[in-house]
Amino acid sequence: MRTIKLTLLVLGLTIIAFAYNADAKDASELMKKSHMAYYYAADDGLSEVNMRLINKRGKERVREFTMLRLDESDGGKQMYYTYFKSPSDVARMTFMVHKTPGGNDARWIYVPSVDLVKPISADDKNSSFVGSDFSYEDVSGRHWTEDNHKLLEESTLNGKEVYVIESVPKEDFNAFHKKLTYIDKETLLPMKEEYFDKDGEMTQIMRLEKVETVDGIPTATVRSMENLKKGSKTIVEFNSIDYNLGLKDNLFTERYLKNPPRKYIR
Amino acid sequence: MRRLLVFAVIFTALSVTTARAELYFGGFLQGLYGGRTDDTNPTATEYTASETRLQLRMEHFGDNAEFFGRLDFFYDAAVAPQYDWELREGYAKFRLGSKIDVKVGRQILTWGTGDLIFINDVFAKDYRSFFIGRDDQYLKAPQDAVRMAWYNPIGELSIAWTPRFEPNRLPTGQRLSFYNPMAGGIIGTQAQGMPLEPEAKFDNSEIASRLSRRFGFYTAALYFYRGFYKNPVGFDPNAQAAYYPELNVYGASIRGMLMGGILWLEGGYMHSRDDEDGDNPYVPNSTIEGLFGYEKQIASNLTANLQWQVEYMQDYETFESQQMPGSQYRDELYHLLTSRITKLMMRELLTLSGFIFYSPSDEDLYLRLMAEYKYTDEVILAVGANIFDGEYESTEFGQFQKNDNLYAKITYGF
Repeated sequence: MRTIKLTLLVLGLTIIAFAYNADAKDASELMKKSHMAYYYAADDGLSEVNMRLINKRGKERVREFTMLRLDESDGGKQMYYTYFKSPSDVARMTFMVHKTPGGNDARWIYVPSVDLVKPISADDKNSSFVGSDFSYEDVSGRHWTEDNHKLLEESTLNGKEVYVIESVPKEDFNAFHKKLTYIDKETLLPMKEEYFDKDGEMTQIMRLEKVETVDGIPTATVRSMENLKKGSKTIVEFNSIDYNLGLKDNLFTERYLKNPPRKYIR
Repeated sequence: MRRLLVFAVIFTALSVTTARAELYFGGFLQGLYGGRTDDTNPTATEYTASETRLQLRMEHFGDNAEFFGRLDFFYDAAVAPQYDWELREGYAKFRLGSKIDVKVGRQILTWGTGDLIFINDVFAKDYRSFFIGRDDQYLKAPQDAVRMAWYNPIGELSIAWTPRFEPNRLPTGQRLSFYNPMAGGIIGTQAQGMPLEPEAKFDNSEIASRLSRRFGFYTAALYFYRGFYKNPVGFDPNAQAAYYPELNVYGASIRGMLMGGILWLEGGYMHSRDDEDGDNPYVPNSTIEGLFGYEKQIASNLTANLQWQVEYMQDYETFESQQMPGSQYRDELYHLLTSRITKLMMRELLTLSGFIFYSPSDEDLYLRLMAEYKYTDEVILAVGANIFDGEYESTEFGQFQKNDNLYAKITYGF
């Protein structure tokens, strides 16, 4: 009797495991998990960001800022805080986003030289982030439910086993017509994204150039975005990454927009 | 002397702050050159700007307090060659408990919702800078003030106390001409004596306060100001001089997201305390002002906004009966329409922007055009134009109609 029970239990667990595995292979579910691993790592995070904007002639511009993030729930609302350090003309400016997946984002900027808090109209999520090849949506993530996903194949990329997922926006979207995402089977991070226009031509490539484990969390510490049409490229380095700092949501308010929290921002 | 005192306070405080303290420096070197385009302008000089400016920025923060200084040194040769300096900001910022933020010292103060239209923002502006192409940061003149913000369950209550009245900086006639009612026309160099400032006493300090609160995508605020008109709009017949009449402002605003754009509404009652009944011809009557604004990104990298301001004058009949027959004077309702258009190009390295003020009731306008190119991360080049026009010489922008100017600016940031 006992053996039967045990056999049933093992059998049950095996079925669950199989089902889970099949589930995991479901493209949409995979994209969700990848999204969690990439954009919702830990409950909050801090990083010192160095962004290099390289144009087609190789001329380079550098943007340096500190970024704080707090997730209300995994896959749910997020709050971002950015403190610009350089170049000189934007130094000390702060920028805050309250992101609601599927809803409207609220954005504010603070210009300390005139003590001005200004909400920014955030209609076009596809507009460039500080003139880089990354859009606002690339920075905080496009919600996986906005696209239809299909698992094309399982393959390898730079010696890593990956899932290749094809995503097509449910509604017409000016940023891309189709996207291929190469998801690392182990870390679930999107190691590469290829964007295509309606003529099937590749327009942009996003790459995770370097992945390191920070506080036990696989983290992309160098990312790049290449614009094939413009010949430009943006390389972003994330330094001094810290997770689970215990950030409070009151930090993402006008009070701190005007008074950067020096505990985190120097 | 006051400046030195502020300096002394900052540096003393600097030397006694806590561990983990850090010091940051920055600033810019800038050349600004501009000239008028109207030869009939009765100003002392043909240059609206000819200056080299070095701004040094210093920031120091410890665990408990923060110090900030912004100091300008400049050589200005527009009228006559002169060297000068100005402490733009110099303050200490610290916390009292967990709910109160305090900022003490020379600082820039701003609130309200308008884009270059100010109703409840009764803080000092510098139109001398604004009209000749200096950076946006120079539109705001610093005030020596104590500001406290108390974060409480109702919202944020901010109080700014400016012990010594700080007026707006208006054209003096030397490089920008303006209308003088005594002269009955636009004047330049023969500008009359300085307006009388309120006596330096405790009773004459300025108090500005705001209670604000966020409701989802909207922020609402109530305002109160007690002080003086920031422009010398009153005339003292005994002293035969212009002065700053007493003013209270009561107002409210709301701003937030609507249909992918930003909407703002603001209103205020300007209570002219030196002219309660509106019968003093030398002091402005009380007014009620309203502002409506909307901003939206209308295309990729193209943002536009529109504003409509209305000002209703109380006791207009009395005002009208005091005017000279045949002279030009304002309507009971003053209207001002503005629009800003900003286009970012070349990966945000090139910014083209235009801002227009147009008053259908005063029949005047002011157009600001600018192109700015970030040549490198350090070097920024800009050219711009300030164009004024008006049917009459006495209106807000019409009085500057001879001041049309073009300018070029180069900035090296570090």
